Amino acid sequence: MPGDEDSSDKKKSHRARQSGVKAEKKKLKKTKSVGKDETLTARQRNPKAFAINSAISAERNFRRKEDLTAKKQHIPIVDKTPDVPPPVLVAVVGPPKVGKSTVIRNLIKNFTRTNVTEIKGPITIVTSKKRRITLIECNNDVNSMIDIAKCADLVLLLCDASYGFEMEIFEFLNICQVHGMPKIMGVLTHLDVIRNPKTMRTRKKELKKRFWTEVYDGAKLFYLSGLIHGEYLRNEIQNLGRFISVMKFRPLTWKGTHSHVLVDRVEDVTNTEMIRQNSKCDRDIVLYGYVRGVPMNKELSVHIAGYGDARMEELSSIPDPCPMPGTEKKRNLLEKERMLYAPMSGVGGIVYDKDAVYIELQGSHSHKKKNEDDEDAIQQEDLLGKLIEKKQTIDTQIEEQEFRLFSDAPAIKSKDFVDERKAKVQSDDEDDEEGSEAEEDDEEEDNDSGMDDEEMEDWKVEQSEEENPAEDSSDEEYEEKVGLDSDFNWRDNLAQKARDDYLERQAESGNLMKIVYGVFNVSAKSKPEQEEAEDKEDSSSDNEDDIGGLFKKVTQKQAEIQKQREIQDKEECCFFEVYSNEIRNWLDPENKIYIQNCFVTGKWKASEDAEELLKLDDLSDAESEVYGDFEDLETGEKHDAKDKEKDDKDNEPDPKKRKMTRVEEENLTKAELMAKKMKLKAKFDSEYDNGGEKDEDDGRITGDHQYYEELKAEAQKQSELNKKEFEGLDDELRSKIEGGYRPGMYVRMSFKGVTSEFVTNFNPTYPVLVGGLNMAEENIGFVNCKVKKHRWYKKILKTGDPLIVSIGWRRFQTIPIFCKVEDNFRQRYLKYTPNHVTCSMTFWGPITPQNTGFLALQTVANDREEMKRIGFRIAATGAVAELDKSTQIMKKLKLVGTPFKIYKKTAFIQGMFNTSLEVAKFEGAKIKTVSGIRGQIKKAHTTPEGSFRATFEDKILVSDIVFCRTWFKVEVPRFYAPVTSLLLPELEKDQWKGMKTTAQIKREKNLQNDPNVDSLYREVSREQKVFKPLKIPKTLQRSLPYKDKPKHGPVDGVKAEDRIAVIQSPHEQKVSKMMKMIKTNYDDKKAKEKLEMNERAKKFKAEQDQEKNAYHKRQQNLKRKMCRAISKVKGKSKS
Amino acid sequence: MPIEEIENDTLVYKGANFFKQRLLLSTLSGKPVKIKDIRSDFSDPGLREFEVCLVRLLDKVTNGTVIELNNSGTAIYFRPGLLQGGTITHDCCLKRGIGYYIDVLLAIGPFCKNPLNVIFKGVTNSKDSPSIDHIKSAAFPILKRFIVVDDGLELKIKKRGILPDGGGEVHFKCPVKKSLRSLQVVNPGMVKRIRGTAFTCKVSPAMANRTVESAKGVMLKFLPDVYINTDQNKGRLSGNSPGYGISLVAETTEGVFFATEEISFSKTEDSKQTVPEDLGNKVAIRLLDEIYRGGCADSTYQWLIALYMALGQSNVSKYLVGPLSQYSIHFLQHLRDFFSITFKLENPEDDEDDSIPGFTKVLMTCVGINYTNISKRVN
Repeated sequence: MPGDEDSSDKKKSHRARQSGVKAEKKKLKKTKSVGKDETLTARQRNPKAFAINSAISAERNFRRKEDLTAKKQHIPIVDKTPDVPPPVLVAVVGPPKVGKSTVIRNLIKNFTRTNVTEIKGPITIVTSKKRRITLIECNNDVNSMIDIAKCADLVLLLCDASYGFEMEIFEFLNICQVHGMPKIMGVLTHLDVIRNPKTMRTRKKELKKRFWTEVYDGAKLFYLSGLIHGEYLRNEIQNLGRFISVMKFRPLTWKGTHSHVLVDRVEDVTNTEMIRQNSKCDRDIVLYGYVRGVPMNKELSVHIAGYGDARMEELSSIPDPCPMPGTEKKRNLLEKERMLYAPMSGVGGIVYDKDAVYIELQGSHSHKKKNEDDEDAIQQEDLLGKLIEKKQTIDTQIEEQEFRLFSDAPAIKSKDFVDERKAKVQSDDEDDEEGSEAEEDDEEEDNDSGMDDEEMEDWKVEQSEEENPAEDSSDEEYEEKVGLDSDFNWRDNLAQKARDDYLERQAESGNLMKIVYGVFNVSAKSKPEQEEAEDKEDSSSDNEDDIGGLFKKVTQKQAEIQKQREIQDKEECCFFEVYSNEIRNWLDPENKIYIQNCFVTGKWKASEDAEELLKLDDLSDAESEVYGDFEDLETGEKHDAKDKEKDDKDNEPDPKKRKMTRVEEENLTKAELMAKKMKLKAKFDSEYDNGGEKDEDDGRITGDHQYYEELKAEAQKQSELNKKEFEGLDDELRSKIEGGYRPGMYVRMSFKGVTSEFVTNFNPTYPVLVGGLNMAEENIGFVNCKVKKHRWYKKILKTGDPLIVSIGWRRFQTIPIFCKVEDNFRQRYLKYTPNHVTCSMTFWGPITPQNTGFLALQTVANDREEMKRIGFRIAATGAVAELDKSTQIMKKLKLVGTPFKIYKKTAFIQGMFNTSLEVAKFEGAKIKTVSGIRGQIKKAHTTPEGSFRATFEDKILVSDIVFCRTWFKVEVPRFYAPVTSLLLPELEKDQWKGMKTTAQIKREKNLQNDPNVDSLYREVSREQKVFKPLKIPKTLQRSLPYKDKPKHGPVDGVKAEDRIAVIQSPHEQKVSKMMKMIKTNYDDKKAKEKLEMNERAKKFKAEQDQEKNAYHKRQQNLKRKMCRAISKVKGKSKS
Repeated sequence: MPIEEIENDTLVYKGANFFKQRLLLSTLSGKPVKIKDIRSDFSDPGLREFEVCLVRLLDKVTNGTVIELNNSGTAIYFRPGLLQGGTITHDCCLKRGIGYYIDVLLAIGPFCKNPLNVIFKGVTNSKDSPSIDHIKSAAFPILKRFIVVDDGLELKIKKRGILPDGGGEVHFKCPVKKSLRSLQVVNPGMVKRIRGTAFTCKVSPAMANRTVESAKGVMLKFLPDVYINTDQNKGRLSGNSPGYGISLVAETTEGVFFATEEISFSKTEDSKQTVPEDLGNKVAIRLLDEIYRGGCADSTYQWLIALYMALGQSNVSKYLVGPLSQYSIHFLQHLRDFFSITFKLENPEDDEDDSIPGFTKVLMTCVGINYTNISKRVN
């Protein structure tokens, strides 16, 4: 057996040593290396192996590594998300009949277990402990698509898989790209229509590939495989929901700098009587929604997309109707917290329609439960009475209205209803303020005291002292001192006192805001209120006054007006007021001590003072310190700190803010001292230690990322500061300081004087987007953009044709002028947009910050025919480059004239200008003839009018046409019309038509332009040019050589035409014919003879040559023989 | 001064005071402004020459500005255009110093379309407006803090000119920025050095030396590091009228600058004579006063800080200043009218061992409105 043989053949295996030096070594290595592996890397253990061999390759490696890290770095941005972020806006977009509503319904059911029968307008739901979402369905109107793209955080792009992507989807993607890309998730529906699994697979793959090229590689695409009982599969929807609730968003530029509200509730609060009298009267409306983006400010105007710019009459925050769940720890949401808020869809139990209100009775069980809960809660807190109660949640408010509806029967429009509501709102406000009324009262008092100066001085000082009696003891001392001084010689120190008082007033913390803003708070409120406040104040201040309050009031008012007048016409001066040039004498030793510590020579702050720091160090090192009184037990000696104390006091007698004296320091416990020291150490570390990073030296060369790290740290610090700074403040003040209501708050915006169509033609399926406009954005001017015609748009765009532009929040129609920036920065007018390259476009429109993207459409009307013809509606895209109040677009202009009188190099030219004034404007301008002779306009000529004298570099011809090339400034038409699609009636909502293009009008009216006659083609007829004979002057002729001299022939020579024609008789003809024949024969004979002769001559020459050759030969032979003979003879004679 | 009313976007004010503030804020915010009752009770009512000169300057700097004056000059309507900038030459009215005009350009300079390059002619040093030295030493550090990169920021005195005949020339350049950064400046530091310039125009150089001597005498009692330059001008460089003056700057360890200045009485006020020693003494005392008030900026430019903070990015900005001047208080009120921004003003809490010496300070806190330069072209 071979196996056995092998085993028998097997060699003895190696046996490792169990003892001895080697074994010891191995054992040691084994145990140690194991220990080593845990702590050290291979690099650290064996640094030689990783040493740099070549500087070049090391440099390359380093560079590559740094490149990769640099690529990953982004400019750090300050995180501005508020504590309670607004609901994430999820838009469901897609062509009709693709299943948008079904998806929304299923998602709502998934999150809140509620069936919503009708999807209209935004629906806000709570999805998780930290997230709410607002779902909105986008209809198939391009206006809605644009508005949705501007505000959505996440887009669910629905697509019918059996059909494929439709043009609307591509349009929507393009709109998104222009206005800042939200997150996009594709959802394929109708997958069950495809029966064959193989085709389904390929279909999925195809669509995925296309989707990825459009969005980005790896974009999420969901498959909803089919409907069961009219609903998508549960686990698929669950997955979709999970994805939505964990999705992260990055901030977008436009949304990150502009506040906006997607309106989820609209109410008309116009007086019903007015509507009854005139159904078209301007309405007062109230819009509700969550603030998004940045804080919303009442003072800045807003743009309601599809309506126009508007100014808010009132902006207030109201309790969140769909609040974030509580913060207590738990795994899942409570059933109570799964809120749903959809006033437009009527989930609140009421459906608002155009002119009626319907109450839905079935469905929405959870809703009813929720209401009961809320009502319970309200009963518990009856602190503010029933008026507040209505403000508690939107649901309860709606409930209230419902009740009223029943009691008042059909009188929904009745006057009392509206009035009541109004009154309620007002009284609510009052009640809100009630709590702080007392506070406000003395606030107002303070205001007045702040404004009055000399008169009320004493009273004020008293009051302020009353207000904060617990001041630093040192402060009081100081004041007393001052007081004493002033008592003695108050007349002398009046100015100083005034100055001190002015400063003192500011030193009181509470006063500052009131001094600056206080008075105006009152003016911002309604007038009567202000007066009331004044009354109150008067009564309070007049307590001691015997005379009636009336007089006092008048005098006070008078004084105020007087004071205002005093200020209002003073010379403007930005210096700090010095009261009557009286400055405290700082050289005085008692004054000197106040400012000594402002200099580096004075006492430093405890945290900076080197001495102090050293001392603290010592303190911790050696526990025994001779600071306080202690008795040396051994010697019985008493160490007293008293005298030391005295010295210290002399040194640092800062009365305002005393340093901690030694005595106090002694009293500190050791623990406190330690704490103090730790604080200082932390400060030191943060300044010098780079935050104590783990400096694990792994031997690699690392780049310096300090700059980036610093930037990041700065942004981090800033965002923390932003969050923390105003945390404690009350909402009213906070919203004022932060510049409006924070994102995430639910606000109520009221507008006055809105056209009635907004209300009467309101359709909840069209989104109402209220976008805040920043500073200067409500202004209008010339906007210059870079623009490129979309490559899918089939036509080119013509200058001067109206175009609908979507930019910022706005959609509007305007007339653009296209131009091209040339190398010398001249903006040259273009008639049409070029293909495939960007050009510049200028239009008259709202000022929008640079780099804001925009898109242009020629029509927003949903016209099937037009759509088919164009295919893709987005005509152009681009971005804003510059804003201005004037434009410099130039068009080339050629002025043409003809010379009517020519001197040597001067010519008089007419037909170029009409008047001499025009000529005067062009004096010195360059002109040119067609043949290229250059010249200059000199001066106007009297007749004919508009003619001028010009000089040229050469003499021009009368037939020459003279050009003057100039540039003509093109005015950009000041046309700006917002697209008011929200105001259109129900059926024409998507049929907004603005200004028509000339082409459209011509097409409609069947008009045609008469072409320019000059541009028509005609038969070319060219006349023969007759030149004059060349004349050479006699003098020139004389000097010419003979061959160039003109030849004139014999002087009396007979011209050919003068000769007489000879006509032969038949005989003569015969004779001449005979003669011709003879001549021919003779010629022939001659020719033959010549030939023969040539032959002979050749032969003869050959013979002669031969003879000559022979003769030569003979001669040569003879010579040879001769020479031989001679040489023989010579040889003989020699020998 | 409260707003009288707001009639469709136009802010209506009364009175001649704060004319500069209003026009400046109007230009930046783009909101039209109407000012009524300008010195209507005076025997010579209406706008003064220097105010008209300011309006003219604003017109030069902007594009598309509409200005309407009534016949008596007691009311003005001002609708601002876009900030253009560029190269400008401006002959200032001799009634007020060039500082009055430069203040405005400091505020709007960073937001122009083209970098500002302005040549001013007029009075460089005067009592009623900050002198060029003052602006350079007190306002420039503030601007530099906010714009970070300050290449192209320049203020040069080519010729000095003082009242009554002027004749000075100043070159001012300011770079263009997209936006201002938000800052937290709460540590004023301690004064570490005193610098200054004493100048003479058409008077004996000894005047400057005497002034320096006395000013130095006062300052040396507090700090050893005092150095004051003298700037003696003759002939063309000294303008058209005689006089002398001094300006002092105190620099702290944290790069905060305080400046004060004094100038002799001008030729027209011949009844009064100025003694150089008194002048030096006075300027030093006033600098000490300024140091006592303290904060992280000169008291004259509190308004500039408030403006830059308000215009900054939408982050929390903090700035510690000395007690607010009347002018800054009104500026804050105007800021609220034009930009609807409210500052949080408070006295900083005393951290017992880290308190700031001098008078109780004011901590201004606000969230910027994220004002961006809308005039600049992007490519």
